[in-house]
Amino acid sequence: MTWVRYTLPAAAIVSAAAPAYAVKYLSIEEAQKAAFPSAHFSEVQAGRVWKAEAGGRLAGLFVFDRVIGKHLYIDYAVALSPAGAVQRVEILEYRESYGGEIRSPSWLAQFVGKTAGSALKINGDIRNIAGATLSSTHVTEGVKRVLATYGKAVR
Amino acid sequence: MAKPSADIRRARPLLGTFVEIEVAGATEPEMAGAVDAAFAAVAEVHRLMSFHDPDSDVSRLNREAHVRPLAVHAWTYAVLKTAAELQRGSCGAFDIAVAPTLQRLGLLPRANGSVPSLAPANADFAIELLDGGAVRFRGPDTAIDLGGIAKGFAVDRALDVLRGFGMTAAIVNAGGDLAAFGPEPQLVHIRHPRNPAHIVCTIRLEDEALASSARRFDPFHTADTFGSAVIDPASRRVPGIVDGATVRAPCCMIADALTKVVMIRGIEASDLLERYSASALMFSADGTLQMSSELNDAVHLAA
Repeated sequence: MTWVRYTLPAAAIVSAAAPAYAVKYLSIEEAQKAAFPSAHFSEVQAGRVWKAEAGGRLAGLFVFDRVIGKHLYIDYAVALSPAGAVQRVEILEYRESYGGEIRSPSWLAQFVGKTAGSALKINGDIRNIAGATLSSTHVTEGVKRVLATYGKAVR
Repeated sequence: MAKPSADIRRARPLLGTFVEIEVAGATEPEMAGAVDAAFAAVAEVHRLMSFHDPDSDVSRLNREAHVRPLAVHAWTYAVLKTAAELQRGSCGAFDIAVAPTLQRLGLLPRANGSVPSLAPANADFAIELLDGGAVRFRGPDTAIDLGGIAKGFAVDRALDVLRGFGMTAAIVNAGGDLAAFGPEPQLVHIRHPRNPAHIVCTIRLEDEALASSARRFDPFHTADTFGSAVIDPASRRVPGIVDGATVRAPCCMIADALTKVVMIRGIEASDLLERYSASALMFSADGTLQMSSELNDAVHLAA
């Protein structure tokens, strides 16, 4: 096996350029339909918690939540069964950046009105990204909070 | 017959990272069903091989396998078998029994706060794979962590499911360990291990797997990278020569595991890479990028 050596431009290491990477996977409505097909949804808590009913019976609870970090927002939804167990956790929207632009309204405005499936390609054509592994710990902690808050409410 | 719709793309938090699945070439309900089943396979790997879940095969083995042989799921057995093969092939650079060292370094949680003692480094393979899918540990200080191989295995299982559902194209990305099939090549962007905001190159991928290991980063707290979760079993330290490694291989389990060998051995991993028809690129601590020549045609360096 032969190896070829490249010297990377210093900019590659110290670059302050902060590309944003974002993907919209599902809208709230699409996620509701995927979690509880053919259910009817009634809002229990505005923009956050919905009761799913199918055939006149409780099918479960749909909870929308967002984890906010310093540089990153992740929207996700938790579907709870009537027994209060986590049925599925789905990432609705993933945003990642390293600069301060995530706080600016104009940057955030890019997300408004985007439909799911239209993967946001903010920085060119990045669809698949690899390198260091991103930890999903904050979402996992969020799911535990959702479960603690709403798990009993279903029953 | 319903017309195939556009592709669908979903992500769920599994295996300690974000697992993304994208499929194309079928109707919306068919694709949704296939993606659900593929996520179920990934969740099953998570359930079996998590170090953190007390009911996983891995946790059961770590608690009891030094006392008596334990039967494990066929998938766990298959991963352990490949891990044993890779340990022999890498002269101990790939070692799933580094868990006590990771615990001492605070990279894995400790059981009830105790400081784990260390088995002699590079002792004979500390894990016996017995007939009938049973496993026994040779000593009480053995503890395993499949974090260096299970993500790749999960990606392979997810792709199997998607093929079984007749999808014509798919890509599964478990936090940077990914594999794809389909008529169109997939383009993967590789971050710089010291600066995740910077894309260093793109790699074109066709019906194969690509895995990366690097310093970890947590954009919730800082954009800086910090210590790696890869440990050299011989020195029990974070290896210093390579900052990050990306390996292309026919399957993702092998690609995932080989990134650890490249992190530790650098270009000395060449023989093992060749044996598995794999190729690699690595970022050295001195800021250079080295790439095996097989990747030349697939890699495009960013400006």
